[in-house]
Amino acid sequence: MIHVEELTKSFTDLRRGSVNALEGVSFEVRPGEIFGLLGPNGAGKTTCLRILSTVLKPTSGHAAVAGYDVSQHPAEVRARIGFMSGNTGIYDRMTAREMVEYFGRLYDIEEQALQKRIGEIFTTLQMHEISDLLGSKMSTGMKQKVSIARTIVHDPPVLIFDEPTTGLDVLVARAVLKAIESLRDQGKCIVFSTHIMREVEKLCDRVAIIHKGRILTSGTMAELEQQHGESDMEELFFDLISRHDERVAAELA
Amino acid sequence: MSWRNIKLIFQREFRDQMRDRRTLFMIAILPLLLYPALGIGMVQMLVLFQEQPRTVVVLGENELPKQPPLLKAAAEGDGPRRFVESWFQIRSDAAKLDVFSDASVSGEDGEEVDPGIRQLIDDARQIRDKFREREALRSAPPDAETQTENRDRSAVPAATASHAAALAKANEELGSLFATSQIQVLIIVPEGFGRHIAAVNRQLRERAGEDSSVTDYERPIIVHNKANKKSQIAYTRVLESVTSWEKSILRDRLRMAQLPQTLHTPVNAESVDLARAEDMSDSFWSVLFPALLITMSLTGAFYPAIDLGAGEKERGTMETLLICPASRTEIVMGKFLTVLLFSMSTAILNLASMGLTGRYMLSLGGGGTLSNLGNLSPPSIQALMWVLVLLIPLAALFSALCLSLATFARSSKEGQYYLTPLLMVTMGLTIFCLSPAVEIEPFYSILPIVGPALLLKELLSSPQSAEPLVYAIPVLVTSVGYSLLALWWAIEQFAREEVLFREAERFELGLWIRHLLRDKEPTPSFAEGGFCFILIMLIQFAALKPFQVEILQAESAARVLQFQVIFLIVTIACPALFMSVMLTTNVFDTLRLRWPRWQMFAVAAVLPIVLHPLSVELLGRLEWFFPQLPEGSGRLFQSISDASLPLWFVLAAFAITPAICEELAFRGFILSGFCRSKRKWLPIVLSSIAFGIVHMIPQQVFNAALLGLVLGLIAVCSGSLFPAILFHFVYNSLQVLRGRIGSGWVHNSPAEWFFSPDAELIRYRWPTLLIAAIIAIVLLRWLVNQRLGVSGTIIAKVQIAAAEPGPLRETAAVENTSVQI
Repeated sequence: MIHVEELTKSFTDLRRGSVNALEGVSFEVRPGEIFGLLGPNGAGKTTCLRILSTVLKPTSGHAAVAGYDVSQHPAEVRARIGFMSGNTGIYDRMTAREMVEYFGRLYDIEEQALQKRIGEIFTTLQMHEISDLLGSKMSTGMKQKVSIARTIVHDPPVLIFDEPTTGLDVLVARAVLKAIESLRDQGKCIVFSTHIMREVEKLCDRVAIIHKGRILTSGTMAELEQQHGESDMEELFFDLISRHDERVAAELA
Repeated sequence: MSWRNIKLIFQREFRDQMRDRRTLFMIAILPLLLYPALGIGMVQMLVLFQEQPRTVVVLGENELPKQPPLLKAAAEGDGPRRFVESWFQIRSDAAKLDVFSDASVSGEDGEEVDPGIRQLIDDARQIRDKFREREALRSAPPDAETQTENRDRSAVPAATASHAAALAKANEELGSLFATSQIQVLIIVPEGFGRHIAAVNRQLRERAGEDSSVTDYERPIIVHNKANKKSQIAYTRVLESVTSWEKSILRDRLRMAQLPQTLHTPVNAESVDLARAEDMSDSFWSVLFPALLITMSLTGAFYPAIDLGAGEKERGTMETLLICPASRTEIVMGKFLTVLLFSMSTAILNLASMGLTGRYMLSLGGGGTLSNLGNLSPPSIQALMWVLVLLIPLAALFSALCLSLATFARSSKEGQYYLTPLLMVTMGLTIFCLSPAVEIEPFYSILPIVGPALLLKELLSSPQSAEPLVYAIPVLVTSVGYSLLALWWAIEQFAREEVLFREAERFELGLWIRHLLRDKEPTPSFAEGGFCFILIMLIQFAALKPFQVEILQAESAARVLQFQVIFLIVTIACPALFMSVMLTTNVFDTLRLRWPRWQMFAVAAVLPIVLHPLSVELLGRLEWFFPQLPEGSGRLFQSISDASLPLWFVLAAFAITPAICEELAFRGFILSGFCRSKRKWLPIVLSSIAFGIVHMIPQQVFNAALLGLVLGLIAVCSGSLFPAILFHFVYNSLQVLRGRIGSGWVHNSPAEWFFSPDAELIRYRWPTLLIAAIIAIVLLRWLVNQRLGVSGTIIAKVQIAAAEPGPLRETAAVENTSVQI
């Protein structure tokens, strides 16, 4: 469903000159699995996911989502994905229902089907109480629910979550993760980026560790354990990162 | 483009803005409340406003002729006197001058005179004495004349100097005396004035001889200070009354001399004013409405645009919007329609409110100058309809422009800073439009804001005449064009990746300069190209004054040409060369200094020869469209046809130098900068617009822009500057030759088939034009087909040199192979 090949993205910054946010990133995600993108801050996770959502254009390389290339057919891609991140906010002066309806209509869902779908989603996420609450009056948890509702209103085959539990308390975070899990069980293809080990361990079928724009390793948990001889994700993570940094330092010296 | 999406986005944005209580207040409630409130305040102030009476002192009242009287007889007590009211057009003006005369002070001894009045009279007497002193100094010759025989010459300048110094001192003392006194106007009546007037009257009555010395008497003096506003106001009034009084004396004299009363006004033409009340109102609305429309639609567009552009970024909903299926064009269109609606509503609400309040106020507003407008009739339905029609293109342009700026800005704060320059530019244009001398003309009708404003002014001031309607089509069409252009720019801004990011960059001058110089690239960036153009315009502007002065004062035509050469080199070639060397690593590539194929030279030599007749004909046909040439440029062009100058010299100034300098700048640095944009035609179009604007005179701007397109095409297709220089040189030389050979020789020669000697300079007949057009089309088509020719290879080579190992090399290799074919 998602096919990424040699994705590269560079930015020019006044201070640092030309910066490679992504360098030759490649991975694949199949339907019915959760693919985790694990990495420290500044690794390039958000950039990669933004390219997949067609908001950014790659400097080179290819990415295909649900059978469409992100550079050639961005509109088709956007119609088939649901994207949620810390930067996708909700409108202050719209109620929860209005918000989900607005995006539902933009996704070309026919009106009756849309209302039915909204009813279902609201029931699943327990949003009926906040259905007529304005965005500015909602708590963080409520806002998150609205975001999720917006993300899945058009029942997309591909879902992309960029650090969806940032700033959430334990209860809400747990609910979010449960929701993502149930989506996987429905056969969706899900990419999930995070820097929290627990989430990776609990949710992800396959994981890729990304650092400074490059993928250091990828595979299922069992494969990683075998490859690197380390069962604890956290230790594995630190090992890989520090070894990579040492190597880079040695090359420069 | 899906209209459904646009409608959805528009509806959402509109509802969102309407839910914002503050926006609603500012747009809808404020105008309805503010203008009436202002109106009431102003009416209050007008009612309370009373002009202070000014002080006038008369010295020598007793010497005034008794009939007719200038001053009213003294009333009870020693309050201020008044001029006789009948001398004023508005009788109540007499009450605005307090007159104090020395007769009331010196006359009654034993009576207590107000110390203030006594002080006034004393001051007045001091001023009079000082004044007489000064006059004595002025009329007395310096002592030098009487003593030239006795003393040596060196004393003469000294004596004159001391005289001048004494005079200056006297002036100063006089001025300060007047300033410190409380007197605004001082009237000094000379002794025996009344007697002299009576003597002349008697002579007239008795027809007693021609003793002209009777009219030789000292005149009264009115002292005032023009720089002091109070004194000036009082002086105007005093002058009015004294002049009326003088006319009355004259009428009495004529009666006494039994001459007709109209002796002194033999012509006395009667002025007949055809203006009706509606015409006055129309004239008023025709000035008010365009100004208001422009200001209100701009401010009404600006704040919603900021909110929908930069504000969306700040609230974190930009990315949410960008990941939905709506394309960026649809998003921009939806936002644009919202801003347009707000812009138009603001304009209409403000206009209606201001109009109603203003009319109400004027009908209340007391006497004085405002009473003329008191009967202002409301604008006709037709006028209102035109206002609405022309509001649409104005509002559309402003909405699109503001939305572009709002998207370009990184934050709402930054966006708001763009308002001031925008407002100043539009205000400047509005004031230009409203000056009475400016009328709608073919050229003005295609300018962006000026066109609709002038059209509206004409339509409102003469609603019956259908003449301005001729301009309706060009104004509307070009306005729609400009709005679309602005909208295109808004979409461009929205399509960039930076639209997501709202980081405020910390600007560090040192870092930026170092970046400019350290991270130099082979060719200039887009912004650097644009900046070069702006730099050239600024330098030309700065050099304009000294240059014009030199041209007008130049002794010979040769000097004029020399200045022209220097001007071109300094203002055009130098910035381009300087920037190329400083900001790029590869000056040869930037300035396209490489040798092209020989076919390019051939084309570049033939094309100007065939395009010249076509452009001459085109400019000739469009003569009516452009405004008149300014004076200074006339002299410059005269020197072209000046036969005394050797041909090579004229060619050097008008053909070689401009060819080299302008090509280096416009097809060299600036075109290279614009070529970064990766669009096929944009660099050529932009560089030719820049090239046109530099010529400043509208006819030349048009001609240069068109040629700039061809030159740009040549430069890009050949990848070299030299064919462009050749073209420019040949074209300009043809211009020079045309100027020099005149048109006389065409008569009775076979050339008459091809050239026509109708005007001063030869024009071309249709056989020439036809041949020229055919050849031109053939050559241009060949050029366009060469587009992916040499230039493609050059770009690919540069990329390979700069690329890191990896996927880029593959892409470059692919490009390379396609080019070889």
